[in-house]
Amino acid sequence: MKHNHADTGTIWDRWCQNADKSPNAVAIVHWRAAKIPLRWTWGELVETAKRYSVALMSRGIQRGEVCGIISRHNPLFYPVYLGCVCAGAMPAVLAYQNPRLHPEKFREGLEGMGRRSGLDWILTERALESVLEPLLGNGRSTIKGLQFPFESDEYLADVEFGSLGEAVSVMRASDPLLLQHSSGTTGLQKPVLLSHGAVLGHVTQYAKFLAMSDSDKIVSWLPLYHDMGLIAAFHLPLALGITTIQIDPFEWVVAPSLLLEAISAERATMTWLPNFAFSMMADKIKEEDLEGATLDSCRMLINCSEPVRPRDQEKFFKRFALRGLKREALSSCYAMAETTFAVTQTPPGREPATLAVDPQLLAKGIASQVVNGGKAKICESSGELIPGCEIRIVDEEFNDIEEGRVGEVLIKTAWMFDGYRNYPEKTAAAIRDEWYMSGDYGFRSGNEIYIIGRKKDIVIVAGNNIYPEDVEAAINDLDGVIPGRTVAFGEEDIEFGSERLSVVVETPLTDESKIKQLRTAILKAGMSIEVSITNVYLVPPRFLIKSSAGKPSRNANRDRVLRLKSAELTMQFGGVNDGLGRAEKSDPECVEA
Amino acid sequence: MVSDELRKVILNVLKLDAWEIADTTLAAEVPGWDSLSHINVVSAVERHFGVGFKTVEVIKLKNVGDLQRLVDSKLGKQP
Repeated sequence: MKHNHADTGTIWDRWCQNADKSPNAVAIVHWRAAKIPLRWTWGELVETAKRYSVALMSRGIQRGEVCGIISRHNPLFYPVYLGCVCAGAMPAVLAYQNPRLHPEKFREGLEGMGRRSGLDWILTERALESVLEPLLGNGRSTIKGLQFPFESDEYLADVEFGSLGEAVSVMRASDPLLLQHSSGTTGLQKPVLLSHGAVLGHVTQYAKFLAMSDSDKIVSWLPLYHDMGLIAAFHLPLALGITTIQIDPFEWVVAPSLLLEAISAERATMTWLPNFAFSMMADKIKEEDLEGATLDSCRMLINCSEPVRPRDQEKFFKRFALRGLKREALSSCYAMAETTFAVTQTPPGREPATLAVDPQLLAKGIASQVVNGGKAKICESSGELIPGCEIRIVDEEFNDIEEGRVGEVLIKTAWMFDGYRNYPEKTAAAIRDEWYMSGDYGFRSGNEIYIIGRKKDIVIVAGNNIYPEDVEAAINDLDGVIPGRTVAFGEEDIEFGSERLSVVVETPLTDESKIKQLRTAILKAGMSIEVSITNVYLVPPRFLIKSSAGKPSRNANRDRVLRLKSAELTMQFGGVNDGLGRAEKSDPECVEA
Repeated sequence: MVSDELRKVILNVLKLDAWEIADTTLAAEVPGWDSLSHINVVSAVERHFGVGFKTVEVIKLKNVGDLQRLVDSKLGKQP
């Protein structure tokens, strides 16, 4: 990974320049349902961040240390984050404790994360003190201490604000800026390390491609521990000096009309959304919640972070066209944390390109356009390469393959990550001759890049990556489950506009009440690792198809289950269980229990 | 107190056979009732009881007891 960001300056320099240039301009609108939004001007934001930086350093936080920030939608999050950067520490935004998750599991997750990323401090709310305190001094955790900067009166009291110390003066563009953790539970999270230069260079180039100007305003409900929320909806507007409107993700998911309310009230121009959000807003928002709502200010609604489904974009357009939504505002993007963010993007002012291809040939790796009205699968382009990004489409031997042929997508950009922190083996496995192996399958057609699937077994539910291994491990030890005989996979849910998590579990149980208990136990096992399992398929012993390595194959078993479902060979247990296997003697692959 | 009728609507949406649901039950304690399915539960309750909730009313709900009281208030029942 070679990049030279010597000339880009630091993120902190950029924020200070913005504050000097327009101290009274609004940097961040902290949106709250049914309340007056709070507004941080650039002057207030940077000044408060400086105060926090001094307070952080005076409490022992040093340059280069990792500060996990765990908070709910809190207006002080922003100066705390900026203050970390000013102090030369690395902020790592982490998800707040889900009430489903047992405190012990939450702590285990942080311990596991810390072992790799070297989590030094946790900056959080007092409400989590008792939950997190056992992490200190237990011999397993790297965490040196908890700090409570969100109690601002207490935290900022008695601090000498004379100078910012040495941190700012020695900050360089090549210094690490932040850590972005991939999803997954203990052991599988990979801490992506990004430098000042990578983030600043990327957002500058991406904004240029998007033809952004001072008149743009970003709005977002995305959580800031997600790369799309953090880079596209937070770092990008802050680097450009334009306003970002931040909505509470938990409020949005309960009341998706909040996004439209914020767009209308603030005249926002751009937002990034995972595909399911288009579907959800089209289907779930009630007309009475749209009073006065207009999307006429929006010039780009960018679909990203899970496969783009043209049907959902169309549904969204039909629902909101009468409210001023322009068709060309719908856009798509292909992005990942390892490349800072975006790799391809629909150019502004036009819709994403689509291609009607023969589905049977596509399954064989050939994107052949259907011209005579035959059966077709509509593929939506993820856009064109952003300047500074390169892509190769390769076969399994890493040979470049021709246009229109499906292969793995390899990426090289000027803003590549600095590796997975303290994870050299994972970094080495992800990079080949300076190319990042995305694990995604796609093809090229002209200047357009189409992403159509993935090599990795990751399940993407509503923009969140779920590792099947985590789910299978959580279920494996349950009573009634045959050890090692569980498979987790993603199942397309057309109405939802995303994938749902499904599991196939072998069990020797035949008693109906015990089967119901097992199903409930499986759902609870999912809850214990913060995932919702939607479909539970309980099957008899020896149902699962093994791979050549002797382990149940996820792809083969997913295909088999979906085939059985579509053939209506399923039998339901008690009307509520998605049971398979006990009514499929007609299936030639079925092994008699 | 959570009525059998409300309990059945919730369990039906979540495809659950049985689950103890009391006034103090949190959505997060019920299998399948996560942030993404919450809107489906609320919509099903609105449809079943023929009522409509405002955004702010839905955001303020803390537990099933709150949901029951909201339904009751919409139906004009005395607390």
